[in-house]
Amino acid sequence: MEISSDTFLDNASAALRDTDKAKRRDFIAIATPQIRKAAIDEFEGFDALRKHVKRIRQHSLNNLAHYLEKFEQEAVQNGNRVHFARDGAQLNDIVLDICQQHGAKKVIKGKSMITEETGLNDFLKRGNLDVVETDLGEYIIQLAGEAPSHIVGPALHKSADEIGELFLKNHKLGDREFQETENLVDEARGVLREHFLKGDVGIIGSNALIAENGYSMLVTNEGNGDLCANLPDVLVICTSIDRVLPRAEDATAMLRLLVRSATGQPQTCYTSFYSGPRRDTDIDGPVETHFVLLDNRRSDILTSDYREMLECIRCGACLNHCPIYASVGGHAYGSVYQGPMGSVLTPLLTSLEESSALPNACTTCGRCAEVCPADIPLPDLLRNLRQEENDKKLTSSRWRSGLKLHSWLARHPRLYQWVTGIVIPAMHIIGGSRGRLSRLPMASGWTSQRDFPAPESRTFMQQYKARLRKNHEQ
Amino acid sequence: MSNSSRAELLDKLRDTASGQSAGRIELERNAMGSGNAPFVSANNLSLTYLQNVLANRGSITCVANRNEAVQAVGNYLYGHFRSHRLVAGNDPRLAAMPWRDAGVLPRFGSLEEGEPAALSYAKLGIVETGAVVTYTGKGNPCANHLLPEHHLVLVDVNDLVLNLEQAWEKINGDLGKDGRPRGINMIAGPSSTADIEGQVVYGAHGPRRWHVILLGEVPEETRELAKNNAPTD
Repeated sequence: MEISSDTFLDNASAALRDTDKAKRRDFIAIATPQIRKAAIDEFEGFDALRKHVKRIRQHSLNNLAHYLEKFEQEAVQNGNRVHFARDGAQLNDIVLDICQQHGAKKVIKGKSMITEETGLNDFLKRGNLDVVETDLGEYIIQLAGEAPSHIVGPALHKSADEIGELFLKNHKLGDREFQETENLVDEARGVLREHFLKGDVGIIGSNALIAENGYSMLVTNEGNGDLCANLPDVLVICTSIDRVLPRAEDATAMLRLLVRSATGQPQTCYTSFYSGPRRDTDIDGPVETHFVLLDNRRSDILTSDYREMLECIRCGACLNHCPIYASVGGHAYGSVYQGPMGSVLTPLLTSLEESSALPNACTTCGRCAEVCPADIPLPDLLRNLRQEENDKKLTSSRWRSGLKLHSWLARHPRLYQWVTGIVIPAMHIIGGSRGRLSRLPMASGWTSQRDFPAPESRTFMQQYKARLRKNHEQ
Repeated sequence: MSNSSRAELLDKLRDTASGQSAGRIELERNAMGSGNAPFVSANNLSLTYLQNVLANRGSITCVANRNEAVQAVGNYLYGHFRSHRLVAGNDPRLAAMPWRDAGVLPRFGSLEEGEPAALSYAKLGIVETGAVVTYTGKGNPCANHLLPEHHLVLVDVNDLVLNLEQAWEKINGDLGKDGRPRGINMIAGPSSTADIEGQVVYGAHGPRRWHVILLGEVPEETRELAKNNAPTD
């Protein structure tokens, strides 16, 4: 997985200066939480269902070998070929090999975060294949040569005007104007329809693999994934090993959480379950189907303190509620996974050395954990990664010394109270009537951008003790 | 190449697994039961179902019998296309309908270029989400629900189920009896996208309109709802 997360701070600074894109980030941060809340308020049992699905996910992960083998057995019985890929490179090789065996020229793709993770598109293009993303958002960023900025709405950072310019440049359809968003969607519909009808191989992702019957669940609103799954002669479903669930009803229980959290609907326009190739009774559909199941360090995550991250259902709610994501947008993260879930997952799938900025891109406000339908304690996981960063000495020695000093002081409460009893009133006095400090030793990172609010005149413990004394006297 | 990865991965996972037998794992899963479903009143399923279809931006018609059903299809087609061109899957229930009475002569098969409308006969209607369920096969070629401009679906009122759990009970029954279809499709609205500035637009790739015709005896209240929400051209 290729990332550029080491430049997070520079990317974030650039994003903060881009006021045009900030408007669209505001849409994500303001509208999508409201849409989600309305859907969840209507469903009184949401929290209870969240706990139920968490139990199911934990049970599945505790018995992952059993359920993967069961799924494989059922999928093979359904007529599929099942491949396991150790890492992204192996997944790419397997998919290219399938395409070449069929002499494929054009590959049409539904939205798949796994193939974003492995960089499949570029790999197939190097193998002389024409690869067309068909989810509208993915198609737009493919034309723009960009990475997704959001795991659910990959092109939400782009304005309609920018998309219009992209279409004018890439679709040779003469002079025209795009008055409405509908005009843009219509044009993409027409162009992509041609690609759908000419695709030799379809590649899609999977929202869940069902062990009991070997079906794969696909959740979309556009229906593009279904066209990729049904029109070409060959279908390849690329997903990761952690997607397996015991039963079909488990998949639709998860669906209830996923769709409400992502788009506020009770069910997406298309929820499809695919079992394999065309049957004797079918008059259309693929004649050959493959599953490629990716590990890419997930089996390591399973045995680590971060295993709950494997329960993520990729709804995007944590991104939509994150103040950092809202401020800097998805591209700043330099990873196909952004926001809180991306800040945990990216270091686990790559290395903390390459992406240590991400766990620090968090205010620990806790909104992500509150809204996560998979009940993942994201702030705790981010804090643990920071701890690891410190233990591996990836932070500056000055920072580590500061933390060490603070930790030592915190373990000596009397001394801590004595020191803060001097420092806090002093800061209050320096803050004066403005109530703010424009300079602070060892905190220039803060004060170079904004003033530091001066604290109250006394520490909490000083005030607490004074109150106790007063109550005692009364 | 992937064979060695398979063995390597499964060995690794077995080492970290609970180590329980398949029977114990099954028992553990059974003990977890089903999750919460949103409350759906069983008082008037047909009314709630059609309300949810409307919420999914579908349009609705209510008909009492097969004669009314073909008339409704004919009216819909003429209202939108000034023609009666229609494609339908090779579903014996559709083949047995009195099409001539409505002047509609469907072509039975898979949708071809230039054909604007297709009709499916749903296996089930899910009240909880306002969805229909179809299985791919001769009776429902996938082109018929993915490629037309307008997708029409007949839903028998006796095939309405309360929620997704009840839908799976029925589907699992069919799978046990008839084998596994290639695709099980739950459809809950016309194709849509919000990928451009978050604005919802219908007809992203598939049908721009989705029309549900509920067939059978329903309470007056349901008929009123359908009458008050008759599809517009």
